[in-house]
Amino acid sequence: MIKILNGGTQTTLQDAGRQGYRHLGIPSSGAADKLSYALSNYLVGNPWDTPALECTLGGLHLRFTRDTVIGLAGAEMWAQINGQNLTNFTSVPVKAGDILTFSFARQGVRSYLAVAGGFSGQVDFGSLSTYIPAALGGFEGRALRTGDELPLSEPLGERRKIPRGLVPYLSSHVILRARPAPEFEKLTLESRRHLFVSAYTATPDTNRMGSRLRGNKIELIEPLSMTSSPLLPGTLQLPPQGQPILALIDGHCTGGYARCLQIIRADLWQLGQVGPGTRVSFRRCFLGEDELALARRNEFYAGLMPGFSF
Amino acid sequence: MAKSNSELDNIAEPRLAPYGDGAIYLEYETLAYNASVNKAVLNLAARLRESGNWVDVVSGYNSLIAVFNPHKMTLDTAAGALEEELARVKKIAARKPKTIDVPVYYGGEFGPDMETLIKSSGLSEDEIVKSHSEENYHVCIMGFVPGFTFLSEAPKALHHPRLEKPRLSVPSGSIGIAGWQTGIYGLSSPGGWQIIGRTPLKIFDAKREPAFLWEAGDQLRFIPQAGPFPNEVEIQTPFPKGGQL
Repeated sequence: MIKILNGGTQTTLQDAGRQGYRHLGIPSSGAADKLSYALSNYLVGNPWDTPALECTLGGLHLRFTRDTVIGLAGAEMWAQINGQNLTNFTSVPVKAGDILTFSFARQGVRSYLAVAGGFSGQVDFGSLSTYIPAALGGFEGRALRTGDELPLSEPLGERRKIPRGLVPYLSSHVILRARPAPEFEKLTLESRRHLFVSAYTATPDTNRMGSRLRGNKIELIEPLSMTSSPLLPGTLQLPPQGQPILALIDGHCTGGYARCLQIIRADLWQLGQVGPGTRVSFRRCFLGEDELALARRNEFYAGLMPGFSF
Repeated sequence: MAKSNSELDNIAEPRLAPYGDGAIYLEYETLAYNASVNKAVLNLAARLRESGNWVDVVSGYNSLIAVFNPHKMTLDTAAGALEEELARVKKIAARKPKTIDVPVYYGGEFGPDMETLIKSSGLSEDEIVKSHSEENYHVCIMGFVPGFTFLSEAPKALHHPRLEKPRLSVPSGSIGIAGWQTGIYGLSSPGGWQIIGRTPLKIFDAKREPAFLWEAGDQLRFIPQAGPFPNEVEIQTPFPKGGQL
C-alpha cells in the first residue's frame, strides 16, 4: 500500500485516457504528458498504459507499506527517498516504511510515479483517468489528499533502463509544431505572423483543462460570431480580448472562440509540461512534415514500448 | 428506408479539411441556426461512430471533427473515408428522436436573469415562461462538459447576449439563454449565460445507466413547475414518448 502524507499541488491517478466520449462532453483526460507517463511505466516493467500517479508542480509526500519498485519520469522535482536523492528517468527499489518526497518542479511541471504492477482505482467510461470536474475515475474522482491509501499490485515485470537518447528533453521554453485550424484565415496577416514569430508565456490560469497565454495580441480581420464548435486538446483558441488559450488534455469538447492552430500529434505530449511561466512558441508545420514527424517519433519509441503512439 | 434528405438539397456541400494531423474537419457554411444542417451533422456523426473506424467524433451545430487512429489511417485515407460516408449518409433517414419532458422552475432564485430578460424583451415573466416552454427544442450538442445541453434556437423575443462578466459558478440544472441559443448546465460550472430557470433533473450521472438522460438529436419540452423545488427528481421513464431506442 501507499499512504499519502501530503497530496502536493495536485496529484491524480491517470492512465492513457478515455476515448470515444467527446461527443458527450467527456474529454479524454489521461496523463497530460503521455511520453513521460509511458516511460515511467517502462522503467518498472509495466505495459506503457498502466495507471500511474501524475504529480503537478510538486509537494507530494508518501510512505510505502511494502517493498516494491518505482519509476520516475517527467518534470525534475528533486525526488528523494528518506532524504536520499533519486535520479529522474530511472527506477529504484523501495522498502516498506520508506518515505518518498517531491520538492518543486524545476524543468517541466508534471512528474509521473509508476509502481511495479501498477495502481488500481475507480474506472468510469473505460478508463481510470481522473477527471476532476465530473469526479470521474482515479481515487474517488479527485486529487489525492493526506491520509488516502492506495493499494499496490504484484509486480509484473523487470526493472528496466531507458536507453541513451530516448530520455525526453524538458525545457521551460516549449516549442510546439502546429497546423492552421479552421479560423486561422480569419486572423489578420500580422497576427498570423505573430503566432509563429513571437513567444507566448503561460499565465497562472493554467491547469489540465487549458492554459491562458500572454503575448502579442492576436486580432481577427472582423468580429466573428461563432456557434459552439468542436475542438481538441492542442487547439489554440482566441477569445475576443486577443490573448490565446491553449486547450489541454481535460479541455472542453466544444467552444465558441476562433480556433487558430492545432498542435501536431508528435508534440502533444509537451502540453503536459506547460505550467505558469512556461514560454510557448509555435512553429508552422507544413503538409506532410507532420506525418513524417509522427512516423519518426513513433518508430523511435515503438521498439521500447509496444503499442505506444503519440 | 431511402427517404432522401431533401432539406439538404438547397445547402452547399460542406468543406473538408485536415484538423491538425490527427483528425478531419467538416463544416457546413451557415449564417444562422439551421435545423437541417444540424440534423445532417448529427446523422453523419452517428454513422461515423457506428462504423467503428474513428477514435472520436465530436460535432457542433454545423461542423464536426473526426479523430482517426494514425496506425490505421493517414490524413488522405481518412478524408476519403469521410467523404464516402458523407455520400452514403445522404440517402439514409436520421434516427427517430425521443421526446423528453423536462420539469423547469422558472424565475425567482432559480432564474436570476429573468429581470434582465423582462426588460430586454418587453414581455412579462409569465409571457417569457410561456414563450420559452411552448417551443420543442432539439438537442444539438452535448458538452462542452458532461451534461451541458445545447438546444436549438430560442424564440426570437428571448434572444439576449451573454453576461458581460461570466459567473464563477452556475448551479447544475440551470437553464439559460446566450444569443439565440438556449441550453442547460449539466454540471455546476462557471458560465456566462442568462439564467431564467432550473430543472431538478440530473442530466449526467456516471453511476446511473444510462449515464445521460438524452443525447444529441433528441427533443426536449420544458414543463413549467410551481411549488417548492424538489431535491432531485428521478425521471420516471427515461424515454417516455415517441421514437425507439
